[in-house]
Amino acid sequence: MTAESLQALLRSSPHVWRGGETARVSARSSGYAALDARLPGGGWPIGALIEIAPKSDGCGELRLTLPALKSWCQDGKSVAFVRPPHVPYAPALAHHGLTLSSLLWVAADTDQDACWAAEQLLRDGAAAVLLWSSAREERALRRLQLAAETGKACAFLYRPPVLSSTSPAAVRIGLSPVDGGMNIDLVKVRGGQPGRFVLPLPRPAA
Amino acid sequence: MLWISVYLPHLAMELRQPQQPRPAVVTDGTGARRRVIACNTTALEAGITIGMDAPSSMMREPELRLFDRSKADERRAILAVASWAHQFTSDVCVEVQRWMLWLEVGSSLRYFNSLTTLHRQIKSGIERLGYTAAIGIAPTLEAAALLTKHPDTMPILNRPEIRRTVGPLSLAGLDIGAKAVDQLHTTGLRTIDDLLGIPSDSLARRFGEELPQYLQRLLGERADVRRRHRPPASYRRRFDFMEGVESVDGLLFALRRILQEFTGYLRGRDVAIQHLAITLLHREKKETVLRLVTSAPQRNAAHLFALLREKLERTALADPVMAIQLSAAEFVEPRITQADFFDDPHQENDNWSALLDKLRTRLGPEAIRRLGLSDDHRPENAWCVLTDNTGATITAEYPDRPLWFLSEPQQINDVPQLLGAPERIEAGWWTGQDCSRDYYLARTDEGAHWWLFREVGTQRWYLQGLWA
Repeated sequence: MTAESLQALLRSSPHVWRGGETARVSARSSGYAALDARLPGGGWPIGALIEIAPKSDGCGELRLTLPALKSWCQDGKSVAFVRPPHVPYAPALAHHGLTLSSLLWVAADTDQDACWAAEQLLRDGAAAVLLWSSAREERALRRLQLAAETGKACAFLYRPPVLSSTSPAAVRIGLSPVDGGMNIDLVKVRGGQPGRFVLPLPRPAA
Repeated sequence: MLWISVYLPHLAMELRQPQQPRPAVVTDGTGARRRVIACNTTALEAGITIGMDAPSSMMREPELRLFDRSKADERRAILAVASWAHQFTSDVCVEVQRWMLWLEVGSSLRYFNSLTTLHRQIKSGIERLGYTAAIGIAPTLEAAALLTKHPDTMPILNRPEIRRTVGPLSLAGLDIGAKAVDQLHTTGLRTIDDLLGIPSDSLARRFGEELPQYLQRLLGERADVRRRHRPPASYRRRFDFMEGVESVDGLLFALRRILQEFTGYLRGRDVAIQHLAITLLHREKKETVLRLVTSAPQRNAAHLFALLREKLERTALADPVMAIQLSAAEFVEPRITQADFFDDPHQENDNWSALLDKLRTRLGPEAIRRLGLSDDHRPENAWCVLTDNTGATITAEYPDRPLWFLSEPQQINDVPQLLGAPERIEAGWWTGQDCSRDYYLARTDEGAHWWLFREVGTQRWYLQGLWA
């Protein structure tokens, strides 16, 4: 067996993960170079579940995903906010350059309905879904992961600050505010580099 | 002219007990005149035949269940099939008493590639509506009708062939009444050829003018003028259950059929719907009305079925359902002519709007929202929720505002560190309420940014937004 055919064989198998090679992961730039450098494929992985656990509401959790959301909007793709904890404020979204007609806000009474709606959206047409849920059961998370894979979409799961011990998510991020930006704790990055760093954010101009 | 005649031989039975494992018949008349007009296969296997009187049929099969026919149900059913049939041709005739309808397909044949395709589509379509169909094809209405009683006969494609094909057939399938057929049999006539050998005037003397005239219409020697069926301007279809239905599953079966009929009607008129009502009529309680609103014009039976099923499964059936009714009165163009605000133009429109409908059905119409902007400097009024296609996007420069907005401002006692100068927003002085507010950007000890305001009158502090 030649080296080339061995390489081809390794490349063709989905069960073989090759350290250091991330080019095959399809990804969407997060808009933050420091973050992209640590993510597989240089951005948010497509078709994957990404867990984000902000320490409190208002620590930059939306600005973390906003540049990617904006690029999806510009491509004419749809982005959904499912059961957000507060009103996503239209003037602020417009300020950040998001196309409002590409955004869908889904209200749900129960966590179960919210997860169901997120799954449907991931599966059937949204480019990204931001879901606020406290779902912890591995089964619920796996379903989201599967829906994201099926629809080749990004599932951003915003959840309470304490991350559970195991999760099928491809990326898990802890977030906390810090002077001049936000503290990013990449707890898990499949095919990337876990670690902690500070992502600078501009001070609001209001 | 080429007519496809559709005969529903088991209509009365199929309306009564669709899947009855036990022997059952439908009868007409009362007392000594009560006769079997339809029966299921188990009854047929027990030796019961159409036309048999009720007492004899019960002697053959003591377990037999007898149902009275409902002419009203038969009428509703056959007219619904006629409305459904308009998707194939605009020329439809119907005779309710004979459980028969005709579709003129000579002029539309080229759209359907071949007669075989059309034949198959009609037959399988009617089976999906829940009926057995016998089909006859001929250039005259009555010849086509006759062939439905002789399912093995080949279609007749031109007029000279009629006589040759129908000649050897027995008299039983003719629409001249059982009595006339019996009388003709006793005079030794067996086939239609035998009957056609007798001069018209002697037939007329014995049986009246109608018989020779009927034979002339059969052969195409006499014009057969019929009223055409017109699909109704608004649609209402009621399906009565023999016994109260207590489970949603029991309703789905009827729902699937009436949606099949309905979407055939929509295709026939080349329209679609966005509003649809399903009414459940209960035994005692007030009726339950389920309203369906779709985001885009719809006429797909499977899609409508999925939406209504979702709705039904979330409806508590407090009382057995005696009938289910579909009604629709507003029809729209079937295709989306202008870009739907809710539809992403870059996506498959149908899939996306089907998805939104699915979400609305489960979560409620108000749950699926678009964000809009309005030209108002008061923070509460600078945005709005759009739940349908209304509203326009305002393009302007927007100041940096918090991404999370608290519609109900939260009063706070410990004010975090304020940054920069306040922004005075006069709100609502024109409504008589003085509520000038000074808005501040604040930074919490943890490093988060808040949007606060101090009410000028009360000097109270409130949290209104978070820079998320």
